Amino acid sequence: MTGVAEKAVTRPGVKRIIGIDFDFGSLRTAGPRYWAFVSLLFTLIVLGVTAWGAALSHGGAVMAMRDNYPWGLWFTNYMYYIGLSAGGLVVYASVHLFGAKQFAPLSRLAVLQAGVLVMLALLGIITDMERPWRAVYMLLSPNPSSPFVYTGSAANIYMIICFVDLWILITGKGGHKLAHRMTLIALPFAIYLHTTTAFVLALNKSRELWNSAVMVPIFLTSATASGISLLLICAYIMQRTGVFKFKPSMFRSLATLLATVIITDLFLLAVEIMTVFWPTSAKPGHALRFAEFFTGEYALAFIPVLVLGVGAFALLAGRSTRHLPAVQITASAMYVVAVFLKRYSLMAMGFSTNTLGQYTAPYFPSLTEVLIAVGLLSVGLLIMTLSARVLPLRVPEEELHDADAQDAAAAAGLAVGVG
Amino acid sequence: MSEKTKPVEGQLPEALPPGCTLSRRTFLEGVGATAGLLLAGTVPGLATVASTQAKEPGVPKGNEAIASILEEDGALRYPGHTVDYAEPPGDEKWAMVIDVKACIGCRRCVYACVKENNIGRNSGFTYIQVLEMEAGKIDIEHANLDYDEAGRPDKWYMPVQCMQCAEAPCVYGCPVTATWRDPDGIVVIDYDKCIACRNCITTCPYGARHFNWVEPEVPEEERNPDVPVEAKAGVVEKCTFCIQRTRKGGTTACTEACPVGARKFGDLNDPNSEVSILLKTRRVWRLKEEYGTEPMIWYVG
Repeated sequence: MTGVAEKAVTRPGVKRIIGIDFDFGSLRTAGPRYWAFVSLLFTLIVLGVTAWGAALSHGGAVMAMRDNYPWGLWFTNYMYYIGLSAGGLVVYASVHLFGAKQFAPLSRLAVLQAGVLVMLALLGIITDMERPWRAVYMLLSPNPSSPFVYTGSAANIYMIICFVDLWILITGKGGHKLAHRMTLIALPFAIYLHTTTAFVLALNKSRELWNSAVMVPIFLTSATASGISLLLICAYIMQRTGVFKFKPSMFRSLATLLATVIITDLFLLAVEIMTVFWPTSAKPGHALRFAEFFTGEYALAFIPVLVLGVGAFALLAGRSTRHLPAVQITASAMYVVAVFLKRYSLMAMGFSTNTLGQYTAPYFPSLTEVLIAVGLLSVGLLIMTLSARVLPLRVPEEELHDADAQDAAAAAGLAVGVG
Repeated sequence: MSEKTKPVEGQLPEALPPGCTLSRRTFLEGVGATAGLLLAGTVPGLATVASTQAKEPGVPKGNEAIASILEEDGALRYPGHTVDYAEPPGDEKWAMVIDVKACIGCRRCVYACVKENNIGRNSGFTYIQVLEMEAGKIDIEHANLDYDEAGRPDKWYMPVQCMQCAEAPCVYGCPVTATWRDPDGIVVIDYDKCIACRNCITTCPYGARHFNWVEPEVPEEERNPDVPVEAKAGVVEKCTFCIQRTRKGGTTACTEACPVGARKFGDLNDPNSEVSILLKTRRVWRLKEEYGTEPMIWYVG
């Protein structure tokens, strides 16, 4: 491992900071298309910051949120980004915990993606607050009965874990053993984070459609499915741009995992729908509210969730076609969109008819909110774009072979431990 | 009325740091002030060193039926703040009884409330929402909030506002303890502490909490000097049982304004108050009682 690092240091333009070789030299050789993309992202970030300034100076009125929709795009994105980050972690963890060696080349990318996405989720909260500096009260006087305290602290700690983990993976400090231990911390924490995020919705007895324990597993499965989809798409892009080289078997395994998680996700949604409408369990308030998602304006967001979900599963289920990159990318893209719409629908289910029975037309974000969200997304993309060149995300060949042997040993050790 | 508790010596935060009520525009003028604000923000935080002296109320004789509710008044969640524009809480236990048989849905209570509590004329909400209900059932899902004609004989009317719940979901849900239930049962909000996460709006089963999406505008001549205006920009507000009046021995503005006397406001700890007598002698019900929020507004009719 150390031998690899020393070899890298000899290349021009490489600077070693906190033990990581930052390859700034590769930025000089980057083509005009790369820089065009980076400047586009910069423009979007500037627009987003401007929109945030407008929101701070004019108050929440420039947002489309109102009392009937107290949470809007920022919250949808919070759930969505937190969810996406899970997939990365699951894939990364499966390398260590279940000996899924075919995912090993992805580990650094997966952890970076997880950390950046949680960072975006947290920035989304900050940009939504009218007085961001009051966030300090979360530390000064936290209320232990509020789910916000748990999801907020979990997201912060999880972000730190991800970046520390990335550092450990890149520098190779502590070797394979420490990386394995970090997984043991990171994976339960990822599950904890998603559980608490689901609890923000589920622990409200005032909102019937949220107040269901199935919300937690739905969050976990949706999160994992969308995360794996995004990782799959990312891996294809990275391979296409020549950053990475993956074996086809890795994509096949990812696709199989994705199909399994998608069908679990759809199953959970189906049992929830059945419980709300079955004559012996249907409560008028629930049924009336949920019906809006099948027949009303809200169906425009919710029906695609079902169609895209079933479609993505059907694509991946076909034994003869599921190894084709086109099929895998299409199915992944379908599910990434489906989960976003699902997040929106889940949020809207609490708000479409308020607690006093008043129907509200679907929330659609205002320009300010969209600009802020796009600006945030650009921050994430910029980090990923720069990292793809500057950070040593590619796992060295030696380490992969080295890891194979140790993985088997670790898996055996785990099995003994469990037994 | 029973004797008032004296404010705990030395626990009163002096004039709140001006930074806390800073308007949003000022923020843009000098972001550098943020550091100072963070410091200033800790003052109320430190002032929340709980005053454990909050009195055990004790259940007066003759009120056994509601004893369990009164026992709830341990003021456990009372962080020791006083509302800086109201008298400190006394031994009372405020409650309201609304006679829906008498209510004609005229919304005079709504207008009186808006005036009394300096609700922004541009804010787009009122503390009290009067629901026009179909005869024959309590069907909130089909209630009408925007009716034009009041007093229809084929409908009935149910005013809904903050219920000052003993088990308030909003108090449990607030991540920063910016809202709590005072010992006299009034759920109050610290406008200088609210972080605008709006979780309380989501978690309130009565739609009683409202967010100021704009800076509230109240014409200078119509302002009630006892109630803040600027501090409410960008935070959540709600009915406080007219805390600025009731803690000085007055009654709420809505009770005063009701032309048919449908609202009765009083002290549950006083067995001779109107509300105590009504709860004992009439068959009363509470909205969404099955949620276990123990609302302090009873309906009768």
